[in-house]
Amino acid sequence: MLDYLQNLALAEWVRSSPSLFAYSTVLTAHGVGLGIVVGVNTVIALRLLGVARDIPLAALRRLYGMVWIGFFINLVSGLMLFIAEAHTMAAMVAFWAKLLFVALGMVVAELLKRFYFKDLASVQAGVVTRVGRNLAILSLGCWYLALIAGRLTAYPDMVNGWLHLSGGST
Amino acid sequence: MQAFVNAHEWIWSVLQMIHYVGMSLIVGVIGTLDLRILGMFRSIPIAAFRPLVPWAVGGFFGNLLTGIMFVTGKDAGPSYYTDNLSFRLKMVFLLVAFINLLIFQLSHLEKRTYATPAGGSAPAAAKAVSAFSLVAWLLVIFFGRTMQYNDTLLLFLGL
Repeated sequence: MLDYLQNLALAEWVRSSPSLFAYSTVLTAHGVGLGIVVGVNTVIALRLLGVARDIPLAALRRLYGMVWIGFFINLVSGLMLFIAEAHTMAAMVAFWAKLLFVALGMVVAELLKRFYFKDLASVQAGVVTRVGRNLAILSLGCWYLALIAGRLTAYPDMVNGWLHLSGGST
Repeated sequence: MQAFVNAHEWIWSVLQMIHYVGMSLIVGVIGTLDLRILGMFRSIPIAAFRPLVPWAVGGFFGNLLTGIMFVTGKDAGPSYYTDNLSFRLKMVFLLVAFINLLIFQLSHLEKRTYATPAGGSAPAAAKAVSAFSLVAWLLVIFFGRTMQYNDTLLLFLGL
């Protein structure tokens, strides 16, 4: 399966094309998507935690549109980066940890929608419930852990060294 | 600085993480504010975003500090960055973003923009500043990422 992905023409292009639009641009898109997903989720969480209280809570939910755009950019660019080096990526602990935190972050966003933003009485009264605040803190935790784990995929030997796995540096 | 930054591999990786956190704060706060000025999320009064701006400024200074540590601490020497076309272009577009911000603040534009109520439209000049800001920051990120793959940029430009 990993061999199949890695041998696709698209994977070969992302990995080895000398074009500026291959690896460099896909990686940039992934960075921009990261900035959008983490940054906009941070803005939403900060508002729920009491910063910028003049932002109407009913309007805050609209910012999730941007989160989805960032998520889509990173789903596409992430798949391209993954197939380019499928074997290397699949062997990385940090990569799977990152996917886990991204998935948890999306689940927390869905929980915020269901258990806070749908509570129209609170939203329209400008009240952030305890559930809303706790989920905002969880959201920040998930997204910043995803960022940290994602960055660690650039240092596989260091991470393996920490975990005492083979191929690690000490 | 070189001795500190290179004392352990994890120091460099942590500085990189801080640099990415700073980038996310700038993209999240400034990007959202720019899009509101351009006409999205009109139900939010523009001034409501103001208390978030210090978070982006904090991200910027975090990145200035970590950025200086990368340049002065690089084991191959600062010329790794200063001779790198991507790095130079990143600095150019940072300067463009900064001048753009100065124009916004030193003219009466900032005051007029923050006076835009919920549902209201920002002055046309402010929309131009915001469009410029989005493009400049996007290019800052682009050239920040291509530093490591500078050869592809040089090839693209035929240099």
